[in-house]
Amino acid sequence: MDPTIIEMVNVSREVAWLPWAVQYFFLIGLSIGALLIALPGTLFGLPRWQRVSAIALLVALITGLAAPVALLADLHQPFRFYHFYLYPQTSSWMAWGAFFLPAYMLLLVMHAWLVYRPALSEQAETGPRLLSGLFRRLGGEARPRLQQASGLAALLAALAVLTYTGMELAVVAARPLWHTPLLPWQLFATALVGAAGMALLLQRLLVGAGDADTVRHLQRLLIGSAIGVAAIGLLWLFLGFSGTSPSYQQAITQLTRNPGWQLNAAWTALALVAPVAAAWLLPRHGWLSGLLALHFAWMFRWSVFMDVQSLPKAAAGYQPYVLPFGTDGLLGIVGTAGLVVFLVLILSSLLPWQRPALPALSHHDPATLPGHRSEEV
Amino acid sequence: MKINRRSFLKSAGVLAAGTASAPAAAAEAAAEPTPRWAMLIDLRKCIGCQACTVSCIHENAVPEDSYRTVVTTYEVASEGRVDAYMLPRLCNHCANPPCVPVCPVGATWAEPGGAVLVDNERCVGCGYCVQACPYDARFINHETQTADKCTFCLHRVEVGLLPACVESCVGGARIFGDLNEPDGDLRRAMDEAESLKVLRPEQGTAPHVFYIGLEPEFAGDVDAEPVLWAARAERR
Repeated sequence: MDPTIIEMVNVSREVAWLPWAVQYFFLIGLSIGALLIALPGTLFGLPRWQRVSAIALLVALITGLAAPVALLADLHQPFRFYHFYLYPQTSSWMAWGAFFLPAYMLLLVMHAWLVYRPALSEQAETGPRLLSGLFRRLGGEARPRLQQASGLAALLAALAVLTYTGMELAVVAARPLWHTPLLPWQLFATALVGAAGMALLLQRLLVGAGDADTVRHLQRLLIGSAIGVAAIGLLWLFLGFSGTSPSYQQAITQLTRNPGWQLNAAWTALALVAPVAAAWLLPRHGWLSGLLALHFAWMFRWSVFMDVQSLPKAAAGYQPYVLPFGTDGLLGIVGTAGLVVFLVLILSSLLPWQRPALPALSHHDPATLPGHRSEEV
Repeated sequence: MKINRRSFLKSAGVLAAGTASAPAAAAEAAAEPTPRWAMLIDLRKCIGCQACTVSCIHENAVPEDSYRTVVTTYEVASEGRVDAYMLPRLCNHCANPPCVPVCPVGATWAEPGGAVLVDNERCVGCGYCVQACPYDARFINHETQTADKCTFCLHRVEVGLLPACVESCVGGARIFGDLNEPDGDLRRAMDEAESLKVLRPEQGTAPHVFYIGLEPEFAGDVDAEPVLWAARAERR
């Protein structure tokens, strides 16, 4: 007979990665997912992707600019961030991230600038007079080849960021729920769901309900990504049944012992089904499937970070995380959301995001590019 | 505590020699083999008094609500008999420490003597090492806002003293010393032990805190009911 054990004395450890980490992984995931959605338009000039590409590139910019703020805030010594560059350690995925992330941001901004370049000249005439000089300086002829090169470079940097963010968690053997080669793929697929969701939401907020084609296109992307998430989840279950996955074993142990985790598992499944159902049943209400998709992408990361950290490694049971109200908790989450709203307002007002130059691969004649933007979109 | 006295006299000798002939002392020190510090905890002798926990806090100025070592204590009921089980925990100063390679800025490393240390002036407080430690032996020190952990009291060991937890152990359950010293108390106790165990051997970290009397139920995840939640949890 197994003994009954009661833990009388132990300590509880605080979580080392705060909700800031959730915000960073959420926002950088959205940015990369959105860039991937934008690239068929901005890199290959596919005509059917142009409107989707326009809103997705804006999402990529907004979330890409907000993400590093949350990352820096998650450091307990944020003013020592330069140590990443003074003492880089190649053995650490996080150290690689310190190089990949700025490269991604730089290339994303450069790509967006090349996309907006022709329309920025127009913006100099029609936009705020205070900024007309700046827009004139930034604007100019379309540079299709440079645009494609920057798009390709941004894609490579995005893949590098995806790899480092996924591997950073997957290499941690001490946390079996992270220590699975499937986690980087899960982060990727859920980021695509979230990016499609954010694009749907911004589409409604900035464009309105009129453009049904774009909404349908984004909803198809959302459904496709959600199917990908479900497929990876099933593969994880399959590997678990084969008995070779410590990640699965720990999850099952928690599920059988902990009602909170049962609720969490049910919530995750429902959160994935909900945006798909909304996109399927209410295709005209893109904002609804968008919001639900954002909820799924965020709560998946919340579970991955905060719930997994609630499992102590040297104590019994489960030490539930209680969200503090200060900057380490709720205020950090609200603050990051506020930054995103601010960037939505600023960037959507200032950038000619609805009229991006999308060079078609087959139309490399620069003469066909700048003047035809508004007709194309 | 033969090793303590010997270490102490040896270091006192080096200090005395230093006053007379520093180069000679340096040459003697260079000729000495590198120690491999380790700890053996005889669980049969631990009475769960937490003297080690408290002395560590005092010795190392560990902030409130943080611990570099603690004696986890369990009530074990089996076949009508109820026992207490005490398991002191601390950093295992692994030979293959998973906390070291993940550090993005090289702020943590294993000394030649095996003690795993943190440079809290370089540490950025990213918490990655805290995640990577399978023993929950690291934490963020909120006074320095950097990673913190047991150092094997290297500042004491280097001057011939024992770690504070060893020095204060009432039952003599903790034995500290140099694995490379064949006649040392640690080596002798380990050679005499019938069975030596480490925590979470499956992690491949090669811990250098060894246990006598470590039951398999306690070597990894402990399937126990946390007493603080006992009122809410359903009794099995």
